[in-house]
Amino acid sequence: MNIASIIEAHDAGRIAIIDEYDVLTYGELRDWASAIRRLLTEHGVGPDDRVAVPAGNEPAFVAATLGALGVGARVIPMKSTNPLPELDRKLASIRPTIILVGEEASWMHEHTDRIDAPMIDLREVSRTAATSPAIVERNGDDVAIMMLTSGVSGNAKVAMLSHGNLAWAQAAACENSVDGLGPEDVALAALPFSHIFGLNVILLATLRMGGQVVLQRRFDVEGSLELCARYGITLLAGAPPMWRRWSMAEAPNDVFTSVRLAISGAAALPIEVFDEMQRRHGITIEEGYGLTETSPIVTSSRGDAKAASVGRPVDGVEVILVEEDGTPVDRGDAGEIVVRGPGIFKGYFDDDDATHEVLTPDGWFWTGDVGVLDDSDHLYIVDRIKDIIIVSGFNVYPAEVENVLLDHPDVRGAVVVGNAHLDTGETVVAYVSGDLDAAELDLHARANLSRYKCPTKYHLVDDLPVAPTGKKIRRELR
Amino acid sequence: MTSTLPDFTFEAAPELPGSDRVSHYGVSAVRRIVHQLWDLSIEGVHNIPAEGPAILCPNHLSFCDSVFVPVSLPRRVWAIGKGEYMDDWKTKYIFPAFGMIPVDRSGGEAAQAALDTAARVLDGGHLFMIYPEGTRSRSGNLHKARTGAARLSVRCDAPIIPVGHIGTLDVQPPDQFKMKPGLPVTVRFGEPMHISEFGDPNDPRSVRPFADAVMYEIAQLSGQKYVDTYAGSEDKDDEQPKVETPVIAIPPGRARAPKLVSAAAS
Repeated sequence: MNIASIIEAHDAGRIAIIDEYDVLTYGELRDWASAIRRLLTEHGVGPDDRVAVPAGNEPAFVAATLGALGVGARVIPMKSTNPLPELDRKLASIRPTIILVGEEASWMHEHTDRIDAPMIDLREVSRTAATSPAIVERNGDDVAIMMLTSGVSGNAKVAMLSHGNLAWAQAAACENSVDGLGPEDVALAALPFSHIFGLNVILLATLRMGGQVVLQRRFDVEGSLELCARYGITLLAGAPPMWRRWSMAEAPNDVFTSVRLAISGAAALPIEVFDEMQRRHGITIEEGYGLTETSPIVTSSRGDAKAASVGRPVDGVEVILVEEDGTPVDRGDAGEIVVRGPGIFKGYFDDDDATHEVLTPDGWFWTGDVGVLDDSDHLYIVDRIKDIIIVSGFNVYPAEVENVLLDHPDVRGAVVVGNAHLDTGETVVAYVSGDLDAAELDLHARANLSRYKCPTKYHLVDDLPVAPTGKKIRRELR
Repeated sequence: MTSTLPDFTFEAAPELPGSDRVSHYGVSAVRRIVHQLWDLSIEGVHNIPAEGPAILCPNHLSFCDSVFVPVSLPRRVWAIGKGEYMDDWKTKYIFPAFGMIPVDRSGGEAAQAALDTAARVLDGGHLFMIYPEGTRSRSGNLHKARTGAARLSVRCDAPIIPVGHIGTLDVQPPDQFKMKPGLPVTVRFGEPMHISEFGDPNDPRSVRPFADAVMYEIAQLSGQKYVDTYAGSEDKDDEQPKVETPVIAIPPGRARAPKLVSAAAS
């Protein structure tokens, strides 16, 4: 198998990729990918070599990724914009054999002095080749994609996902689910391809089914609404901040009429956003839970949604909630989410210590997330285990405290962290943006929280550190 | 050295199994004897509703907790106990006098049967007592709550009343059958707690914060140190049926990982 083959069987005349500047048929995309295969082969790139692809959501990224996978190489999708020190750290951790630079990342050519690996400007690569090497056959366990997961955790790690992992998750997103993707679907790719959700669930899964992918290089609300209307988008996927903006946008009520699959992932979707999309546009947003390390599909609410739940484990995935010692918790109790299934990654590249902290020899992945399973197997996400604040031995989940603070009408945003405390071990400290004072906040908290959960200190700030996916970056406040 | 008996209302509840084994006089006699034999101080009786359902959640240190909490109440209270007690002449009358409802715990459906019985008590508007730790604490610390009481509270829309008692361990230390008379025992009832104060009752994520908040209040009442691990399973007379569960292997490198939830509990 080789996931580079997902585009091979589709009719050459069908449209595969639509971009502001380009429209590619499946035939043209195959030609471009095979030209990349030839180019990489000429550069001596072969199986298990590492090909970094810094780019935006642009057609060249798609061709480069499929081309590099086709020679059996491992692809590392990278954001198009990286501050130089961050770029240095990332390149040091992946040590690419070669770098295929997209148009959106062309600024990197000005920094050849600090980049060891050879760089190829994808704008200058021919889109066709008279002859080209065939797609290399790979095993299901061979690594296909290496995803940078620096995200909110702080420590850059590179998750290795195999051809088998990715193919299974694509199938789970398409063929194995009710009303899954089909060849008639048109997906809006506004989520970055450097994120597993945008890459595997939107781009590759749609291509696998022979659908069309409409690329939005940089997300903006008006632009995405226009693309929805112009191309009749049927699959609309976004992170919660994107959904919030779509739900609040001044848009005609019929702008989303073509949308039949609406998916949110990457962080918890606020219930009011869910409600607003349903009320204004009749769209039911499906939530799923997953991580880079799970390719990313673990649960889906498709066809069986419950408020605030991220759905049930998809077929083939086992989910157990456990105590710290591995004992399953009572049904209905909170525990660390531990997952086993065909999407579980092969470990972190060049980092056995990090791998052994999360992966057991028999294939269980300890996610570091705390969740609750109800009687019908619906999963609810509580918080990140390392964000839990421990006050006098009692667990305080920051999300619970933050939600209480956010319930106050004058609070715009809230992030809660733990600070060391001599008597209680830790104490709760809140960072809040809004038009009110600490005394008022304290009254509100005391009326709604147990005493040990109430913040002992309030910092009123203008802005809170939040990642583009909607995840709160607590480490910046600790 | 005897303390004052609280005013007491006898609820007959003939619909509950075992309740017909004692009369008003029987229960009153037992209450009087306990109050004469021990120096019992009772605080917060006003927190017990005069009528309607409520779940009493005491800390659990000694077998005799099941004696002192019931006799401190102004109403009759029920709790789950082993079905075998009803076959033994020594226990078949005295245990129901303290509100024990026998449940056969031998089958696989034992936990559900216990829960259904508890719901029956509460739905009938009575008081029900359950030890949230699930079993006696051998360490003397207050342990992490099982979620049964909190879930029962949601199911039956009944408040939880946290209960903290002090002195029962001295009256009857572990593995001793006899209770030492004459010692002081304090029983404190906290304010009724509702899950709606801790989250959406329909959201399963509200259950754990509610259960934790109950333990926090019990710790304030009993003065115990809280530890975020379940009470040990070494006791022979666990209050809740055990189900064998597989244990998931811990990742081999986890020992080097940062401290996790309960490892960091002080």
